[in-house]
Amino acid sequence: MKKLFFSLLLVAFLISCKASTTLVPLIIYDYSDLYMQDFMNLILENNTNDILLETYDSKNSQIIQNEIINDTLSENPPLLIVNPVDRLGVYPIIEKAKNLDIPIIFINREPLKKDLDLWDKVYYVGAKAEQSAQLQAQIVMDLFGGDPTNLNQFDSNNDNKIQLVILKGQPGHQDAEIRTDHVISVLEDAGFTLDVLSITEAYFFKDIAKEKMTELIDEFPNKIEIVISNNDAMALGAIEAMVEKELFIDVNGNGKIEHDTEPWIPVIGIDGIPPAVTKIEEGYLYGTVLNDSETMAKAINDLVSILLEDGDINSLPYHVEDDTYIWIDYQTFTSTPTN
Amino acid sequence: MKWFNQMSLGNKLRILFMGLILLSVIATAYFSLSQTAKTMNTIITNSSKEINKQIILNYEKYVDDIRAHATYIESQTKLVNYATIDELESIFKQYASSNIDITSISLVSQDGSAIITSLTNYYPNPDIQTLDWFVGATENEGTYYFTPPHMENISLYGTRNVISISKLVEYSMFGEKRKGVLVIDVTDEDIQTIAKQTNLGETGHMIIISDEGDLVFSTISSCYSDECDSLKWVKETIIGDGYVTLNDNDYYANINTVQGTRWRIATFVDINLLQDTRLRMYISVGSFLLGTLLLSTLLISLLTRQVTSPLNKLMEHMKSIDTKHHLHNKINVKGQKEIVVLSEAFNEMIEEIRELVERLVAEQKAKRRSEFLALQTQINPHFLYNTLDSIVWLSEQGKNAEVQKMVVALSRFFRISISRGKNVIPIEKELEHAKNYLTIQQIRYFGKFSYTFDVDERTFDYTIVKLILQPLIENAINHGISYDEEGHITIRCHLEQSHIKLEVENDGYGLSEKQIKHITHIMTEPSEQSFGLRNVYQRLKLYYGEQADIIVSGKMDEYTRFTIIIPKQEVYQ
Repeated sequence: MKKLFFSLLLVAFLISCKASTTLVPLIIYDYSDLYMQDFMNLILENNTNDILLETYDSKNSQIIQNEIINDTLSENPPLLIVNPVDRLGVYPIIEKAKNLDIPIIFINREPLKKDLDLWDKVYYVGAKAEQSAQLQAQIVMDLFGGDPTNLNQFDSNNDNKIQLVILKGQPGHQDAEIRTDHVISVLEDAGFTLDVLSITEAYFFKDIAKEKMTELIDEFPNKIEIVISNNDAMALGAIEAMVEKELFIDVNGNGKIEHDTEPWIPVIGIDGIPPAVTKIEEGYLYGTVLNDSETMAKAINDLVSILLEDGDINSLPYHVEDDTYIWIDYQTFTSTPTN
Repeated sequence: MKWFNQMSLGNKLRILFMGLILLSVIATAYFSLSQTAKTMNTIITNSSKEINKQIILNYEKYVDDIRAHATYIESQTKLVNYATIDELESIFKQYASSNIDITSISLVSQDGSAIITSLTNYYPNPDIQTLDWFVGATENEGTYYFTPPHMENISLYGTRNVISISKLVEYSMFGEKRKGVLVIDVTDEDIQTIAKQTNLGETGHMIIISDEGDLVFSTISSCYSDECDSLKWVKETIIGDGYVTLNDNDYYANINTVQGTRWRIATFVDINLLQDTRLRMYISVGSFLLGTLLLSTLLISLLTRQVTSPLNKLMEHMKSIDTKHHLHNKINVKGQKEIVVLSEAFNEMIEEIRELVERLVAEQKAKRRSEFLALQTQINPHFLYNTLDSIVWLSEQGKNAEVQKMVVALSRFFRISISRGKNVIPIEKELEHAKNYLTIQQIRYFGKFSYTFDVDERTFDYTIVKLILQPLIENAINHGISYDEEGHITIRCHLEQSHIKLEVENDGYGLSEKQIKHITHIMTEPSEQSFGLRNVYQRLKLYYGEQADIIVSGKMDEYTRFTIIIPKQEVYQ
């Protein structure tokens, strides 16, 4: 009888242990997005809190995401981390979470400010899209010698104009719109003359970018001087297309492109995902704007821990703008051209 | 549990079986019904979600198509530094005319003053800056703004119902950058068509609501005039799904956002049909289980009866077996095999018992008879010798009259003694026998005693075991008569209520209490020693059993009395 009592006590103890582990849903817009895969893993690795992050795949469907959020909200989690599929479609989620008093941290895709203003317990951790475009434009300017009136050898037709192709992400997507608009305006404001051959929408996906790039190479034979991509995945897709079209040729077969001796075309991405970094080291991808995922992942976890402790968010080692935004700076990353 | 133990086997079996069946039926019902409910629930939820998803996807495609136009126009607007208004206008016109859904494409400067439009008959609207699409685009910078269907309003005197998609864009004009609102009007026909394509059930409907909570579109007209219940539910729920009852109709409703817009679509799928199906399923499962219950109840009572009815019959029969009479009855049980075998065995046992009892009774009878005869034959032979001696003496004295009297008495005495072998004789004969004996003894003991008979002649209708009085009289003469004075013997025979009472009483020494006890003891207790009084007592007991008795009474120096009680047994004619 005593034994039975103690084993019951043990079971009760174990159950209470299990219940004490807090589950925080981490809802990703699409697992097949290479950057998000990497980013999600970083968030999980940097989780030093006494909580379990439970990840969900929205499969790039807001309907699925809505369902996941509805289900997880019904389990009354301490908070939600959401990487929205449709940044315009988060306002009902915020309203619902407000009714249930469950804070939300949005990541990677920035909701409208007026939606974030609906409640004071919603946060956004990310990078400013403008900054990525700014840095991307900087790479382009440096590549072309920095003097808009006298472009260097990368102006292959010597017309003192930059013939460029922009691979745009999902139309309507804030990052896609801002990065596209901004990279153009920064270059133009700096005095460069641009000849935008095409702004091609490849929805942030590598395969679509590869397909569209193939078409573009046929459309503009030997005209493209530079490819500017809204993200690394599309940049990698474009490179694959150009390798097939022999715009990149690894003459000596060492698996690397020697910029001095072997044919190549500069391609610039954004994000700094590991395969892109590899491609930069191999000389295929010229450069990228590193989305500092590591710092972002840490910031997210720090914010989670402050919210769970009900602490003051201004005690975080990051500037919290409007008590809502934590901005993480981008960094440039290029292979050094040897000319 | 006492009440349970006291219950009959049949009821116990019934309770146990019924309990078991009821339990299993309830368990089956519970599980099958809950499973059914679960399945139905899943069907309803999944199908409604699927319908909602399909509608959302259709609208998203519709919206995507519109936005694709807008994106293209926007890129054309932004990228090119147009020299003249006409250049952009012609692009707008060309694009609008090649897309039949687009009714107009226009670019309005932020102050509302300059307008480039594809419309050929353009009548400037003075309130252009207050229009929904203009305000929406200005307030939601960076995104496309979708208006609800409305009458064309960029130009006055609009004739078509359109949806406007607007966005604040940058464009270059005359070498300088400007901001303006790009607006594309498309017909609202598709929004209607898509809604009609989906089957939401008889009263099923859908509504589209904007982020401001304004109605964009509804398939039911009542939602336009005032806030309908469906709209209220959507506003409360915000997003998600659930069962909802509106105007006595059951729906499964889903609310989802339409990607790329600020719209939410709520679908209300009519599930009355499914609810009916569920009800029918409940009824059929319920009636099946009820049928099972009834059938099993019937079978159980049949089975129980098969067992308990022969058992009860056997039990009743066994209860009745308590008198000799019923040993002849046999039980004939039909039904459960085991009980039939048991009954047959019981019959055999009773038959054996009956035979044993009969044999025992016969043996007892024989034994009693032999004892009885043995006792009867013990009449003292000395009496005969003494009487014959007296006759000899009387004849020697020449007293012929006395001789004659004595011989006649003796002859009658023996005739009655023998009585043709009968054990029981009429009381009259027994009294006569006593009288003969007294006659003989009076002659022998001349002048020593006298006697009287006090007899109720009604007793003559009854019988008595013979030779009862004589030994008692002999006893009275031997022990009661003294030589110095004449004794007296009284013989009484009376009819009482329930029995016949005979008494032999003599005066003389009488009896003390102690003597009474002693005599009673000798008379009633069995012993080897033969004794006339006990002989009489034993014969009475053997013949009459408990109904007969001899009571000894008396008083010192006054009297000695033996009272014989016998049952009334009539003389058979």
